[in-house]
Amino acid sequence: MHPFSLFRLWLVQIRYALTRELAFRANFFAWVIVELSWFVLQLAFVGVVYHHVDRIAGWSRHEMIVLVSTNQLIQQIFTAFLMPGLTKLPELVRTGKLDFVLLKPVPPQFLVSTAQLEIGPLANAGIATLVTGMGLHALGIVPTFASLVAYLLLLFTGLLVHYALLLFLVSLTFWIVQAESVLLGYYSIFQVARLPREAAFGWFRVIFTFALPLLLVANIPAATLIRGMEPGPMALFLLTSLSATLFASLFFHQGLRRYQSASS
Amino acid sequence: MISTLRALPTVFSIGLQRQLAYRWNYLLRALFSAMPLLVSWVFWQAVFRTKETVGAYTLPGLLTYYAVLLIVESVSSPADDDFQISREIREGMLNPILLRPLPYGIYRFFLFLAGRCAYFTAAFLPVVICFFLLSRAVPLELGNLDLFRGLPALLGSALLQFSLTLCLSLTSFWFLDISALIFLVYSLEFLAGGHVFPLDLLPTPIFAVARLLPFAYEYWFPTASLCGTLSREAWQAGLCLQFGWALAFLVLAHFIWQAGLRKYTAAGG
Repeated sequence: MHPFSLFRLWLVQIRYALTRELAFRANFFAWVIVELSWFVLQLAFVGVVYHHVDRIAGWSRHEMIVLVSTNQLIQQIFTAFLMPGLTKLPELVRTGKLDFVLLKPVPPQFLVSTAQLEIGPLANAGIATLVTGMGLHALGIVPTFASLVAYLLLLFTGLLVHYALLLFLVSLTFWIVQAESVLLGYYSIFQVARLPREAAFGWFRVIFTFALPLLLVANIPAATLIRGMEPGPMALFLLTSLSATLFASLFFHQGLRRYQSASS
Repeated sequence: MISTLRALPTVFSIGLQRQLAYRWNYLLRALFSAMPLLVSWVFWQAVFRTKETVGAYTLPGLLTYYAVLLIVESVSSPADDDFQISREIREGMLNPILLRPLPYGIYRFFLFLAGRCAYFTAAFLPVVICFFLLSRAVPLELGNLDLFRGLPALLGSALLQFSLTLCLSLTSFWFLDISALIFLVYSLEFLAGGHVFPLDLLPTPIFAVARLLPFAYEYWFPTASLCGTLSREAWQAGLCLQFGWALAFLVLAHFIWQAGLRKYTAAGG
């Protein structure tokens, strides 16, 4: 299928999902508050730890705020556009409703990933952007145009890592009947992304840099804003995130072969 | 009364079977629950590179807190009881349960107990492996665990978490979807409950306020009791507050249930 057609289809899906979301406005505000409370929790943690120390693995308080809010920004964009669809996969497989996806003349991975949208997280992405800006202001940093463009590209690369991890986890549903706990797995594993890269050591650092580059997801974009562009780590980030996405996609298609329609 | 008591082992058994029907899901959940401990290890190792102590904690002391927290969580935290109760109310599955000569709260409590037993069993091996790996890197202070003070606090935590969950879930009589409310309370439990960091790392005035809230008695209090970091007076006062909050939530749940039943419409067969 032509990429432009996929893009048009995606826009249609967004319009449909938006209409559906706006039908439940109270729910929208409730989820904005929920997500905001989790972000406040992370900032409170930073506040408590820096109440006792000045630097952690070379990161000062405001640098850490930029790191945590960058991570929040990526996560919220992911939660808005891709996560709602992916998390529905276990239910689609268990109930056999995946049949309706497979019957359509569109790549199933695309349909599963983009079928849903949540606009609440976009409001929180705005708040995360604001906090990032405040962190940079406190550090006395004014990012250059080039570093801002690089930051945006790196955010997109970070989205790929989120996507790869969750696609892999939800694809386990083809082997395990009830795989709702994978969402817990996603949130548990993604705590790694909030760590400063320099804090990690040994096999932990190797795995989460080269195999599943969670240590790069927020670290590289945040470091780009704070310390400027570093081509080596940026290239490594791009390469590892593309590999992880490819692997997850292959895993999804492998799982799809095991799928047996529940209705026939 | 006797017939109710006779039914309880059956309810427990049904709960166990329900949980064990999806073993892989359970095992994955248990495995993932060890991840925060790993992240805490890496993070706090970096914090302690420049300092010997943070607050009253050394690195082994702090990691012991997180390790014990893992046990407290696996024993006392409800899994998806809140969503189950909400579904039962919303989808009319309450009808057959209402016909049984068994109070709903007791019925749910035994399902909760069964869930905790199954989860603790599934989590046991991953937790032991995690402890083993961690103890090779950091000398955990697990030999100093105070079971005499810890076990009542653990029991109180389970009761408190169950009663709070019951209160929240029963609001489904009025609301179509309570997941936002549940996740909001989760975040409060994590922050003010000592799940993200021990509450005694907070600045003193904030810590004093946090100790009055019920959330502190869900995670921080049982964990600190087991770790043996509380004075006798603090433990006694904490236990009174913990059971007091649990009782208050149970009474509140009773009133919510009665009000909810007046609103509930049983439809279908």
